[in-house]
Amino acid sequence: MSRATHLDRLRERLVKGGRRAPFLALSGSGQLGNGVLETAFRAGLERRPHSIGADMGSVDPGPNYLGSGRMAASDTIARQDLALLLEGARAYDIPLLVGSAGTAGARPHLDHTLDLVRAIARERGLHFRLASIAADMPREVVKAAIRRGEVTSIGAIGALTEADVDAASHLVGQMGIEAFQRALAMGADVVIAGRACDTAVFSAIPAALGYPIGPAMHMAKIIECCSIACMPGGRDAALGTLDDLGFTMESLNPARHATPLSVAAHSLYEQADPYTVSEPEGTLHVEDARYTALDEHRCRVEGALWVPAARPSVKIEGATRVGERALLLAGCADPAAIARIKVILPEVEQVVRGIVAGDYRMYFRVYGIDGVVDWPMPPASPPREIFILGEVIADTTDLAKAATTVLKQYLLHHGFPGRVSTAGNVAFPITPPEVQTGTAYRFSAYHVMQVDALEPLFPVAIEDV
Amino acid sequence: MKLVDCARVIRSKNAGPTTLTLDLMFEDDRRFRLAQASPALTPAALAPLYGVPAASVHVIAYAPAFAIKIVLPRTTIAGDPGDRDVYGAQQHGPLLGVEL
Repeated sequence: MSRATHLDRLRERLVKGGRRAPFLALSGSGQLGNGVLETAFRAGLERRPHSIGADMGSVDPGPNYLGSGRMAASDTIARQDLALLLEGARAYDIPLLVGSAGTAGARPHLDHTLDLVRAIARERGLHFRLASIAADMPREVVKAAIRRGEVTSIGAIGALTEADVDAASHLVGQMGIEAFQRALAMGADVVIAGRACDTAVFSAIPAALGYPIGPAMHMAKIIECCSIACMPGGRDAALGTLDDLGFTMESLNPARHATPLSVAAHSLYEQADPYTVSEPEGTLHVEDARYTALDEHRCRVEGALWVPAARPSVKIEGATRVGERALLLAGCADPAAIARIKVILPEVEQVVRGIVAGDYRMYFRVYGIDGVVDWPMPPASPPREIFILGEVIADTTDLAKAATTVLKQYLLHHGFPGRVSTAGNVAFPITPPEVQTGTAYRFSAYHVMQVDALEPLFPVAIEDV
Repeated sequence: MKLVDCARVIRSKNAGPTTLTLDLMFEDDRRFRLAQASPALTPAALAPLYGVPAASVHVIAYAPAFAIKIVLPRTTIAGDPGDRDVYGAQQHGPLLGVEL
C-alpha cells in the first residue's frame, strides 16, 4: 500500500473548503555548503514550516566548477550544512528541497551531494525517501534544437553551435517547479536536484497546492538569498508566509529587518530586468507589486503576477576546457618601471615567445592601474606600487610552466630606457612565484532553449535510505 | 552634486555571466528623482565610462526601491581567460566620479 505523499498531507492540512491556510516556507540557505547559521535555522524550525528549501549552487563562481565537475564548497562544511537541514527536516517530517546540488548541478556534483546525504543518513540513523533529479541536457536534444533555431543567446555570448555542445565538458539545464512536483508526487521526503532555478525549491510545493503562482514565485525570489533582503543584510535563515493574496517576508534573526525598501531593493539583485523574472514555465511580473511594513521586522508583499509560457523553455549552461593555467605573481615599486609597465609587459611577452615555442595565450592584470576594471582612461597620477598578475593558458601543463618561468626571469631583468634599478624590476612575494592552477574552463553555453516538454529532460530517481 | 554623495548604494554584480548590472539606490524619492533627471545617467553618458557602445547600455528606473539600474554587456564573459572580475562585484568604480 502506498503512503500519502507530503503534497497529499499538506493539502489535507492547509486546504479546506476551497480556502488555503497560510503556507510557511523556510529558506535554510542561499548557498548551502558555505555555512548555515544554526540559531536562525532552528528558530525557523520552531515555527513548524510546511517546507524547507535551500539553494546550493550558482553560475556566479565562474565556469571552473561546471567544467571540472567539482564543488566550490568544502566537503566538511557541505556535510555539516546538509546534516543540519536533514536532521531538522526529518525531526518534524517536513519536506526538504535542495537545488543546484554541488555548485553547478551536473551529474558529478549531484552524485557527490547524494553520497554526502547517504553518509549523513547512515551516521545519524535517518530514514527517508530520497529523490534525485538530474539536470544534464542530452546533447542530441540540444543539437536538434539548434538545428530548429530554438536556442537563443542570453546577453553578450555568441550563437550556440553543435560543436560547442560536443565540446562542453558538462551541459546542464535549469529545472523549474515541474521537476520538484514530480519528485514529491513519487513520495519524496528529501529532493536533491541538479541545476535548478533558485526559486523552484521554495515555490514548487505551494504552487502544487493551488496557491497563486505569482506571489509564490515572488516569495521564492525574495527568500532564496535568506536575510540578504533585510536591513542590515545577512545570511540567516528567512521565513516566507504565503496566502492567496501575497506573502510576508521575515528574517529569523531578530536583528535583521525586512523593510519595504530592503525587500523591494532585492528585486533588483543580480537581475538584468527588475520587473520580470523568466522561469521555465512562465514569467513573473512584479511591476505592480506593493511592499508595506507589517511592523519594524516584517514586510508584506502583494501584487505579483504570473504569466504562463505558451511553450516551456530551459536556460542551459555549458563549460568547456580552454587549456592548462599557470600564473606569475609579481609586485613593483619602481617609478620608472611603473610609468612604462604597459610597454614593458608586451616587450617581455615578445621575448618569451622568441624562446618558448608553441601555442599559448598570455594575459596581464596590473593592479594599481587596470587589475580590477578595464578603465578606458589611464589613472590621473601613477600609483606608488603595482601588482602584476600574469596568466598563461597553454594546451599542456609543461608548456604553461615553461612560458611562465621564462616570463618571470625576463620580466625581472628586462632593460628599458631610464632604468635605475638594474638588479631586478619586480618583487616576488612568494617562492615559487609561478603557480600552476590546473585546467581552465570558459562558459561556452549560456542560452535559452525552447522545449516541447520539461519532464523528459529532468529524470527523477527514487531510493529509500 | 556627485553621484557618490547623492546615492546610498552604488553596487555592481553579474546578472549571469554575460551581463553586468549596476544598481544605484537613493535614500528618498527626492534624491531618486534628481538622479533620474540627470543627463549624466543616460546610456550616451555612461557608455564611454565602460568603453561599450551606447546602444548596449540600458538604464531602468525602479521607483519602489528609489533605485536606478544600469545594465551593460560584459566585455569578457565571466571567468574567461583574462577576466578581471568573475562576480562583477567591483565594476562600480567608474560611476564614483559621475557628476549629476
